[in-house]
Amino acid sequence: MANDAVLVVGGGPAGLEAARGAADLGARVVLVEERDHLGGTPIFERYAALTHGFQDAEEVMERLTREVTTHPNVQVRLLTRVVGCEGSAGDFRVRLAKVGDGTSETVHVGSIVVATGFQHFDPGRETQVYGYYEYPDVITLVEAEAMLKAKRFVRPSTGQPPERVCFIQCVGSRDRQIGNEYCSKVCCGIASKQAIEIRQQVPNCKVYIFYIDMRMYGYWENEIYWPAQEQYKVQYIKGIATEIIQKGDKLLVRGEDTTLGRPMEVLMDMVILSVGMEPSKGTREVARVLGLKQNKYGFIEVPHEGLDPVATSVPGIFVAGAAAGPKDLDDTLSMAGAAAMKAVATVRRAAASPAG
Amino acid sequence: MALHAPPRLERYADVPYEEKERLFQEVKADPRFPDYLYGCYECGICVAACPSARFYDFSPRKIAQTLAREDVELFYYQLNEDIWNCSQCFSCNRCPRGNSPGGLITLMREVAVRNGLRSAKEALEGYSRVIYKIMSTGTQVSPDMIQADAFPDWGPVAKETAENLDLWRRALPPETMHTTTTAWEVEDRTLAELYAIWYMTGTMDIIREVDEGLHMILCDVMEELLEEKGYAVAGGGE
Repeated sequence: MANDAVLVVGGGPAGLEAARGAADLGARVVLVEERDHLGGTPIFERYAALTHGFQDAEEVMERLTREVTTHPNVQVRLLTRVVGCEGSAGDFRVRLAKVGDGTSETVHVGSIVVATGFQHFDPGRETQVYGYYEYPDVITLVEAEAMLKAKRFVRPSTGQPPERVCFIQCVGSRDRQIGNEYCSKVCCGIASKQAIEIRQQVPNCKVYIFYIDMRMYGYWENEIYWPAQEQYKVQYIKGIATEIIQKGDKLLVRGEDTTLGRPMEVLMDMVILSVGMEPSKGTREVARVLGLKQNKYGFIEVPHEGLDPVATSVPGIFVAGAAAGPKDLDDTLSMAGAAAMKAVATVRRAAASPAG
Repeated sequence: MALHAPPRLERYADVPYEEKERLFQEVKADPRFPDYLYGCYECGICVAACPSARFYDFSPRKIAQTLAREDVELFYYQLNEDIWNCSQCFSCNRCPRGNSPGGLITLMREVAVRNGLRSAKEALEGYSRVIYKIMSTGTQVSPDMIQADAFPDWGPVAKETAENLDLWRRALPPETMHTTTTAWEVEDRTLAELYAIWYMTGTMDIIREVDEGLHMILCDVMEELLEEKGYAVAGGGE
């Protein structure tokens, strides 16, 4: 009786969906979240519209959260961390500690779903070519998102709406120098979505996107990319800026307009760095506590990703969402459903063979 | 605003920016424009398909990109240079986004001609004979163009054919092809209708912009026939 439960670590989109899924399948679920609220990064970082679909992030996450918190099979532990784990598939004893007061408890579960997510790349971390720490008008997708949500998109230096804004893609992604060689998958879509929102909120503002490749999967193409370019007149220029220099009260962006074959120097009011994904601190920590193998970038390793996209290196422990590497919301939710199913199956299998 | 001004653009530095902008807006205002330019992937399929791009420093992609980027300086350069390297074959219409770079060039050429740009006059200079023939007869290639001197590469057949051109033509079954100065026999009624179209669609005004001499000669020929057929040509010289 004690090990019929599923532990879900992380209360973002992946964790919420995994908890809901496992609970709907009839399992008891303990959902652990380090922060004092559920909803994960979309809520914590104040996302505006979702990519893709353009639904209000807060509304969507609140709906999902409510379904989990009101579910009779789910117990939520906020401000709680996983600090220890013993046992194996069907029979884990996991020690949870309260953030702050250090009180702890041990829960007995049959399987675990890790949904600890990602964090945004810090563009000031290793390279300062874009002056992120220096210039107030150089921001990231994250800050732009919060401004767009507040419907007040302005230059941080003046508080006035900008007339010219550019995005620089692949900041902290696809870069051997930085060590993040992977594509973060969502930034092309998010930048294009934000470009549309900027054009909607500040119609006189010209918006440019400097890119290496535009990676607009499936319907992102016709739902985001084409409207951005054709309807909202966002300028896509293949070429990545090498540096940004303050010039008067503007930012001089230097790069190459590769397809027109000419060097490029443009003045911008604001530059938005399209920062990619890195494993969150929680993902690294949980991987260590649970003994999960991590890949060279620190994401949780999925040994058979193609055919078993949610299994980790430890039987009975599954992963969902960006803890396993860059993911969009569609993939995150799909993984969460698959992880919930596998987690419940593990519990049931253990219950069916008491000796094992 | 131009992203960057390459040195060759300095050729047109004397032309005021407002004038370049005006012509740019004239192209964009054309009702066909939205159907000719959606968005550009910069994939290069139009360049790959373009015969002119093989022989000239010419890129239909750059025409589309320049208009999409609203780069007025580069537009003006292309309006005077690049567009005359296009053969208007529309191979570029295979664009996956549905753009028509060739169609954009049509619009740009029309604006260049309508505004009497010197570059347009120069580009069309060599075509005055062709224009005269098409506009005055409704046909372009005529049998009497077969001259041994003009086409040495056609060999001895050309000479023989030219000498007995009238006879060769009479050997053709349709009587309407028993002609030597036009490709086929064109009735006066058809010509009058054609001339009326040239006048009423503003084509004659365009010709005057690029070649006044040609315009005068055409007017003489056309007005005589039109008056004979009972059409009044407005303003005498028009």
